[in-house]
Amino acid sequence: MTRVVEIPQSLDDRSFDQLAAGIVDWPPEEKLLFDARGAQWASPYGLIGILTAGQALAEAKRERPLLTVPNSADVKSYWARTGFFRHAEQLFELHGRAPRPPASPPSDVLLEVTPVRASEDVHSVVNKISETASRILHTELGLEMKATMRFSMALSEACQNIVEHAGTGGWVAVQTYNFRRRLGRNVVVIAVSDAGIGFRRSLEATHAKRFGDRWGDGTALEAALIQGVSRFRDPGRGQGLAFIKRFLDQWEGKISIRSGTARLSIVPPWDEDVPLSERLPFFPGSQVQITIPAQREPVR
Amino acid sequence: MIQTICIGDLLQAELATPFRRLLTRPTGAAIRGRIERALAGSVCLTALLDFSDIELLDLSCADEVVAKLLMAVRDRAEQYVALFGLSEDQHEAIEHVLTHHHLAIAAVPPGRSAPRLLGWVPADARHAFTCLCTWGPLHPIGLARALGWSENRAATSLEDLTLLRLTRLAAGLYHPLPLA
Repeated sequence: MTRVVEIPQSLDDRSFDQLAAGIVDWPPEEKLLFDARGAQWASPYGLIGILTAGQALAEAKRERPLLTVPNSADVKSYWARTGFFRHAEQLFELHGRAPRPPASPPSDVLLEVTPVRASEDVHSVVNKISETASRILHTELGLEMKATMRFSMALSEACQNIVEHAGTGGWVAVQTYNFRRRLGRNVVVIAVSDAGIGFRRSLEATHAKRFGDRWGDGTALEAALIQGVSRFRDPGRGQGLAFIKRFLDQWEGKISIRSGTARLSIVPPWDEDVPLSERLPFFPGSQVQITIPAQREPVR
Repeated sequence: MIQTICIGDLLQAELATPFRRLLTRPTGAAIRGRIERALAGSVCLTALLDFSDIELLDLSCADEVVAKLLMAVRDRAEQYVALFGLSEDQHEAIEHVLTHHHLAIAAVPPGRSAPRLLGWVPADARHAFTCLCTWGPLHPIGLARALGWSENRAATSLEDLTLLRLTRLAAGLYHPLPLA
């Protein structure tokens, strides 16, 4: 038997729950077919989320899933240019012709879909993005020059969370796009996803006891993002997310973390998201999205 | 005597890349190891860690290189550490991690003007530090007179600075660290 998991027409951090719901049980008993034929758009979060599903299935030793490529020539060309298919073909049996990726990604892709497995990958990601980030953040989004450094620091800390806590590899992608419906401005988005143990299991041994019956995916996310706790006894740990949150406060940015069956967001005034969503369809690992909007007054 | 340790040189020796970005905990721990080895062979009272060549310092590295180094050297009676050549965002990262650990360090700005304190320092101790940098070595009575404080308040602030290893007590006088 094969279960069809429909990829939403517009796949982003919110519609991602539909994709998770399509998997139904984890780990699934049936072979999965991810049907992207009707896809019209996908955010970096959506694209690396699909890869995470493929990776998690491989690590759970399930049958290799199928992935049908989008019907739209524009969409599949764009997905190819973000580097998505290059990694998808390692994890999925692809159905439909995926275009060959060009030598360079589109100009709104600051960092194409990139695997993160070790500390060296974090160096490589930050080194790769630093020069482009400076141009995009300052010139196009109107952020002050020092924002480039903070952006790189946030990217580094977000990627290190995979290496330090996930227990497996993950993915990162960075892109700018127009957040027309929600904000009416350009944004830069960092998306980081892994297929690892998730926040609840990562923190369980050291922190579950004090939460008693309340312990779950939502409380684990709150403990990590709001209280800055870490599974390590080293008191220096757990500051990365707190630091990212502080930066984002200054830029009216948003951070949203989904892990297991919960999603916790620090919601800026321009967004209508709820701070904590629980009892969501389960999805393995952790998915982080950091959104930084263009500032209202352009920097000269 | 002051020992200057160029962090950019240590990073290049460690990673052998042209990039001057201090990123990730393993890199930070390796750099801290190199600094500790340099300190072990030194007879200088103050070690000045020179970050001038460092383009980016992430929070994990700030924790590994600066906070953990301060914890490692705090029992060494005659060895003090200060920073030099930090950019504004590096100040911010180091300030964040040191405050978290209740630690502090002096950072010397370019041009070697008055040092800036980073991290967790009580307000009175900050005033006392500025006073020491301006006036030189002081006894608690001298500080109390200079700031119009009670002797007890002045003594407490100087003790706080000494515990944070931002001053040195010698022959009953509190000395600013030699930084230039």
